[in-house]
Amino acid sequence: MLTAIVLSMLALAPVGLLARYLPRPLAGWVLALLPLAAFAGFAARAPLVLNGGVLIESLPWAPEMGLSVRFSLDGLSLLFALLVSGIGTLIFIYTAYYLAGDPGMGRFYVYLAIFMGSMLGLVLADNVLLLFIFWELTSVSSYLLVGYKHDYPEARRGAQMGLLITVAGGLALLVGLVLLSNAAGSFELSEMIAAGEALRASPFYTPALLLIFLGCFTKSAQFPFHIWLPNAMQAPTPASAYLHSATMVKAGVYLLARLHPALSETPLWTYTLTAVGGVTMLVGAVIALRKDDIKALLAYSTVSLLGAMVLMTGIGGHDAPLALVALILAHALYKGALFMLAGAVDHEAGTRKLSELGGLSREMPRTLALTSLAALSAAGIPPLFGFVAKEELLHATTHSKLAPGVDMLVVGATLVAAVLGILYAWRLVSGIFFGPAAPRKKAHVHDAPIGMLVAPGVLTLLSVILPLGLLPVVSALLQPAVVAITGEPEEISLHLIPSALSLPVVLSLVAIGSGAALTRFVKQISAAPSPLPAWLDGDRIYDAAISWLLDSTTAFTRAVQNGRLRNYILYSLLALLAVILTPLALFALGGAPAPDLSDVTLPEMVAALLVPLAILGAIRARSRLGAIIVTGVVGAMVSFMFVIYSGPDLALTQLLVEVISTVFFLLVFAVLPASFQRLSSRATRVRDGVIALGIGATMAAFTWIAASSRLFPSISAAFKAEALAEGKGENVVNVILVDFRGFDTMGEITVLFIALLGTYAMLRLRPESEPTIADMRGKTEPDAGFLGRRGRREMGLASRAGHENGPDGSEAPAPVGQARGGQEEQ
Amino acid sequence: MYESMILRTIARLMLPLLLLLSLFMVVRGHHLPGGGFVGGLLASAAIILQIVAFGPDYAREIIPVNYLRVAAIGVGFAACWGLLALLQGDPFMAARWLDTPIPGIGKLGTPVMFDVGVYLTVIGVTTQLSLVLAEEPTLYPLRRSPPPQTEPVAPEG
Repeated sequence: MLTAIVLSMLALAPVGLLARYLPRPLAGWVLALLPLAAFAGFAARAPLVLNGGVLIESLPWAPEMGLSVRFSLDGLSLLFALLVSGIGTLIFIYTAYYLAGDPGMGRFYVYLAIFMGSMLGLVLADNVLLLFIFWELTSVSSYLLVGYKHDYPEARRGAQMGLLITVAGGLALLVGLVLLSNAAGSFELSEMIAAGEALRASPFYTPALLLIFLGCFTKSAQFPFHIWLPNAMQAPTPASAYLHSATMVKAGVYLLARLHPALSETPLWTYTLTAVGGVTMLVGAVIALRKDDIKALLAYSTVSLLGAMVLMTGIGGHDAPLALVALILAHALYKGALFMLAGAVDHEAGTRKLSELGGLSREMPRTLALTSLAALSAAGIPPLFGFVAKEELLHATTHSKLAPGVDMLVVGATLVAAVLGILYAWRLVSGIFFGPAAPRKKAHVHDAPIGMLVAPGVLTLLSVILPLGLLPVVSALLQPAVVAITGEPEEISLHLIPSALSLPVVLSLVAIGSGAALTRFVKQISAAPSPLPAWLDGDRIYDAAISWLLDSTTAFTRAVQNGRLRNYILYSLLALLAVILTPLALFALGGAPAPDLSDVTLPEMVAALLVPLAILGAIRARSRLGAIIVTGVVGAMVSFMFVIYSGPDLALTQLLVEVISTVFFLLVFAVLPASFQRLSSRATRVRDGVIALGIGATMAAFTWIAASSRLFPSISAAFKAEALAEGKGENVVNVILVDFRGFDTMGEITVLFIALLGTYAMLRLRPESEPTIADMRGKTEPDAGFLGRRGRREMGLASRAGHENGPDGSEAPAPVGQARGGQEEQ
Repeated sequence: MYESMILRTIARLMLPLLLLLSLFMVVRGHHLPGGGFVGGLLASAAIILQIVAFGPDYAREIIPVNYLRVAAIGVGFAACWGLLALLQGDPFMAARWLDTPIPGIGKLGTPVMFDVGVYLTVIGVTTQLSLVLAEEPTLYPLRRSPPPQTEPVAPEG
């Protein structure tokens, strides 16, 4: 059933293309049945999990290696699965209204469905490799979502940044997970977590943990990897709402929570997560307050909240897990709603800049009501669910297992973040709806259609009604999740009204009081000059790093691929020398057997001596024809060797190959002058001679060692015995080629054919404008650098010569032929 | 192309002989030295000899086949005989043999037919490569007549 849910999301993704054939709003409602079915499936299984059970499903994957496609549904997975599928349903409905006029809506639904399937797979996977696959799938599908409006360079850049950062982190994560499974002796998450003691004692603990942190921090946008998240707001609003509220960015937090019982409570875990989470929480809140774009403001507030969540996984203590899951739920509810409402405002008012908005309360009363409620929840004002979660957060910080002093620091930071949270929530609502009305972008601004408000309405409603009477239900839902995080049976309960006037309650009151008091100065605070120096801007560092990467690869490519065949040969030979000579030298140092020349026969000796003589002849040759013929002697002697060792088949083939390659030489050399000219300097010739001698000596030594050392018994006797009986042929070589190793031969002829296709395409299928070899002689390629100008533009980078773009930023027409160059097409 | 009387005479004589020899090599290959690779190389040597002596136009005229297609058919033909065992539930390329030998050829089985596929592939690849190189105007400018447009030139890859 779990497998079916996950796989059907991926398999049914193309159903999204139905959107093309249905009236727009209806399409959303119909397609929303897909996530709704998943939600129903999880809800139907909820009672089992809520009673402490764990649902496990397993399909054989590679049984020989003990691998299986294994999904498990426990409290933590259930919470995430319900959020992903539930909010997914709302996002599907909202999308139909938001993208009503967009011709690519079907494509968008496909991406959304793939993304949802990967996210469900990620939270349900019980095999670390499976988890990794889904982890990277979420990166790839979010790349598609963020880059949906790929006509815009910013969207491409945002998508690329997210992909680069999260996939790089994902690779680190893979290594970390493999190290951990090695230490635990299993690829199954449940078994790894059960082996917690052994993992913490393992020497791999520190490197594995650091790598896993890297994966989680990049995915969950922790400082300093947070820069991709605000850039990901280039995605259409439904995608942003989904990414931020329920899915992608919570994946890192999910994995930390998942590994919590096995890896936590070491100083490395506690203090890394506390420091990174705490810094992210503050940095995100400070930047959020200063942003003018409402989606950017919301994005940074997500960064801040993610910091708080990571903080909760780190600080330890009895109450942190509860605070974590409460925050996850509360944040999903209000952030999803806020993003969708921001999208509605953008959609109706035509802008999402606070400086261009204001005074919309009369025109958009319904949006105002929902936004205020969601923002109040975000600010942690009672009696909304956000308040309950923030209360738990403060409670957990005051009951942490941190060293004294550090814990006070964390309490202070949380308090500051809470106050900032109230300020940016206030700034958001007042900036859009109150104050002086800015000049309208659109003539008639009015409320968003009801359909567009359904989805955020449902989420806001949940924020309101959950704390008012449904807290026992929420507690029941969150309890198995807390159990999964702590690894111990726990009884939890959430309260709206604190039973006593304890320290957290006081802190909460202080936060609300000071937040409310500071709201009057919110304009001044947000307009204050940035406390950070300009060069510390993550975006700028990212751009510089990408530019540096491209420039250095260009320089490297230009140094290595300079278009001179003899240099390529030189590099290849030197590489060969390094690869063969190094192990050979080590082998010789270990004591190689002395050459045994006692049973060398006369014909062998003649052939062996003729080869170097022929080579000397080729070097001394004055004419091309002479050189070609003398080189042919080498091949003939090798062929003769095969005859001596009774390999007539090989000898025949070798001879024919020799003949045909000589003919090829003749074909090509017919163009060149008959005699050689000396164009290289003496020093170059000496250098080449030394390298050639080195290669020759190495290959000779290699052959000798290969022939004189036998590590395994020869299989030639078996081949000889089997050839007639099994292969029905007396020619052993041919039987091996077509029968015993027939599959190899199949591969070889396929390679031959592909080589032919490549050559044919290169020489025959070039367009008229393509410069021929003769045209290119003496001309240098225009300097566009690695990826070329077009490639760089696609990465959202300015090309190094700015004037290449037209005044309107459009592509200047590239000269024909230049745009066709191999590098430009990459 | 080389304008040599001796070369041209010999090339003309050798063409049928070499082609026959190549067939002979394939047929005897399963028991005696020979086989698809050698046979294929021999056949293409016969054709390349014509290219050297008379130029690619003549070589294309005297055996008018599309060698690209020959190579493709060869690969497909070879793979087909492996599928036979797959259809009967055995691993890909498990051998199947006829019970009675065919006079003059010997026992026939899927490995022999597979070898025929190899033969066709080698002929197609080697000959087509030589033709493409020989017809390359910048590499081989000695040719006097313009290249025959036997295949349409696609506008872009």
